[in-house]
Amino acid sequence: MLFSSLTFLFFFLPPVLILYFAVPFRGKNLVLLLSSLFFYFCGGPVYTLLLLFSILSAYVHGLLIDRFRRRAKLFVASSIIISLLLLGFFKYADFTIANVNALLGCNLPLLNLVLPIGISFYTFQTLSYTIDVYRGRAAAQRSLIKLSTYVALFPQLIAGPIVRYTTVEAELSYRKHTLSDAAYGAGRFVLGLAKKVLIANLLGEFCVQFRSSSQPSVLYYWLYAIAFALQIYFDFSGYSDMAIGLGRIFGFHFLENFNYPFIARSVTDFWRRWHISLGTWFRDYVYIPLGGNRVNKLRWVFNIALVWFLTGLWHGASWNFALWGLYFALFLALEKLFLLRLLNRLPRALSHLYLLFVVLISFVIFNAESLAQCGNDLSAMFGLSNLPFTSSDTLYALRSNAVLFAVAVVGCLPLLCRLYERLQPKKAGLALRLLSPLALCVLLLVCTAYLIDGGFNPFLYFRF
Amino acid sequence: MKKNVLNLITLVSLGATLLVLSLLFVFRAKDDVSYSERRALKQFPKLSLATVLSGEFMTDFETFALDQFPFRENFRTVKALWQFSVLFQSDNNGIYVAENSVSSIEYPLNESSVLSAASKLNALYDLYLKNSNCKVYYSVIPDKNYFLARAHGYPAMDYPRLVELFTSTVQNMEHIDIFPALSASDYYRTDPHWRQEALTEVVAALALQMGFEPETSYTYETLSGFYGAYYGQSALPIAAETLTILHSPAIDSATVTNYESGEITTVYDYEGYSGMDSYDIFLHGASPLMTIENPHSQSDAELIIFRDSFGSSLAPLLLDSYAKITLVDIRYISSAYVGEFVTFTDQDVLFIYSTTILNNSASLKD
Repeated sequence: MLFSSLTFLFFFLPPVLILYFAVPFRGKNLVLLLSSLFFYFCGGPVYTLLLLFSILSAYVHGLLIDRFRRRAKLFVASSIIISLLLLGFFKYADFTIANVNALLGCNLPLLNLVLPIGISFYTFQTLSYTIDVYRGRAAAQRSLIKLSTYVALFPQLIAGPIVRYTTVEAELSYRKHTLSDAAYGAGRFVLGLAKKVLIANLLGEFCVQFRSSSQPSVLYYWLYAIAFALQIYFDFSGYSDMAIGLGRIFGFHFLENFNYPFIARSVTDFWRRWHISLGTWFRDYVYIPLGGNRVNKLRWVFNIALVWFLTGLWHGASWNFALWGLYFALFLALEKLFLLRLLNRLPRALSHLYLLFVVLISFVIFNAESLAQCGNDLSAMFGLSNLPFTSSDTLYALRSNAVLFAVAVVGCLPLLCRLYERLQPKKAGLALRLLSPLALCVLLLVCTAYLIDGGFNPFLYFRF
Repeated sequence: MKKNVLNLITLVSLGATLLVLSLLFVFRAKDDVSYSERRALKQFPKLSLATVLSGEFMTDFETFALDQFPFRENFRTVKALWQFSVLFQSDNNGIYVAENSVSSIEYPLNESSVLSAASKLNALYDLYLKNSNCKVYYSVIPDKNYFLARAHGYPAMDYPRLVELFTSTVQNMEHIDIFPALSASDYYRTDPHWRQEALTEVVAALALQMGFEPETSYTYETLSGFYGAYYGQSALPIAAETLTILHSPAIDSATVTNYESGEITTVYDYEGYSGMDSYDIFLHGASPLMTIENPHSQSDAELIIFRDSFGSSLAPLLLDSYAKITLVDIRYISSAYVGEFVTFTDQDVLFIYSTTILNNSASLKD
């Protein structure tokens, strides 16, 4: 069940909200837990058992770490191994077998496992919980219902953001439900839905159209690169907005996951603004334990490469994701060595251009079906594939989607937000505030119209 | 206005939108068919442990929700208007409007499909016509996009290439070019088909090469409230158009025998006009095999037409020159079985297919 589905919006969410606010506080976590399990069950009935096992493993290990401090290392290791084995088996088994077959020339059969929805997200959450308990940053949760609610919480269960246990630890036991939080959450949810349905999905259709074109051109490849970068931003940040909004309605305060990443002037800055919960997770649970930057230069470069190789593979069991991670590792290392100082001295426009160029290329690598397609796409972008600069297909696609591109570009910048804030003290600000409920309703109805009419609706981050 | 009041308005308006639509969905009677889309709508899926555990129930429920959502048609219109009027997109699900006519983008040219269609015609010739005394002709009907797409900046197939590929592959048949006999206005505004009353030049082109005398003195009957197939697909608020059918003594006295249903009927099906697809008024819609017999024919000449749906409105106009017209639609009958129902001796044979079918010829059965 996707957030951007009629089933979720009209058949799941209303009864859950009614039930949640109807029960007394002590029953709210149970309502959230049961509805979250039902939510997950609808998407993958069989794998619900896997989710429950992961929760149980985290719960037991948390208690064991807390109870037997002397052997805590053993228990945290056991917890990490179990979590990573599950993730490795369900996500990377076929990838590993295919590579072993290719390397050794053998013919081991693939397992053809269906990836359990959201396994990468909830595994990282359970890992952060047991590690934080081990590190003494969080107390072991003695209530199975509370821990289960944390892991299975449907607003963030299947596509993040990766909510740390420490972020919601207190709110699992006590949280306030206010009118302003609920209104903010509802508005944020609808805006996220609109980002997904009205922008990301349409950009996705542009990308599909591009792939089926019989008249590719250099310009079309660049437009595709821009469209996909914008699609993945609106798709994932839209989902994060919905998750944060829903969380707020239920009284949880999740951390922001995006902060206008395309205004960054360096790759270092970009990754402080893009999928923040993943970046900080790898920083805190992999990079720093490896020694971070407090090691010799060679080891430090190795640390960066390893962390980004893993970040890439986290996104998918495919070499293009690994390449994508290593591509960023290269730029991050270069920036830390000398490039960042240079970029800071450059005019802002030039450093922006540098970042956009690096990011566009990165998403072409990211979205390629294979390394071969990745090579083809990149060579076509740089005029190495004997393609014309433009074609009638390209011009049609550009003309037809010009407004969409304009909306997407403006929407990924903080311009509108800043304008809204500037107008607040003025009369126009009051008018905007008065109109906002109506605008949100219109957006909700238009999104519903798109959902009813269209079939193109997958969240990109579901496959990760 | 106080912030809390605004917050309350936000919550109440969004909550009411969700709740009202949810309740309407639950309590309103479910529809069986969508007339605008000409299809049956999904009903509540089968609920069992097996369908739930396999995920089939939820998948089907999502389709059920999409199909049965309250104000579904209105929502589809909202989406179409948003696409065209807010985002200024050139098309909506491949549907576009040009010269006040709705059309569906047919693009790109699928050369292998065109070659395959030509090969199927050649195979039919070899199977049934090679050793007969039949005179064999073929013709290609341009779809609406030929006139509208390129002229209005929409992606268009390479039609000259399509015709060149097709004509250079089809063997032993005489080509009748009807492209010059048609224009955009010869097609319905809301439907892919041509208008029967606009086929005078097409019939003249066929008559000239096939050597028959075309009927020219028809009377016209105009039916109102015609919504073509693109009306539903576009979901746009488009006014209905009229559909004109032609009458002549030959047409009005002809009997139509449908080999599939065994029914003997008339050329025009007025009941069909008010059904799911109004174009079914012509020869009662799609059928693998049918004959039209003209009891008042001056000659005993026969015509066999291998055709798609465009042939339904064309065939009645050829009745004055033939005693019997056999219509074969190999989208619904295997080519290999045609010989069990039709004997090829010395008839005129016309293969006439639209460019849409040639570009998607997998539907033509071997």
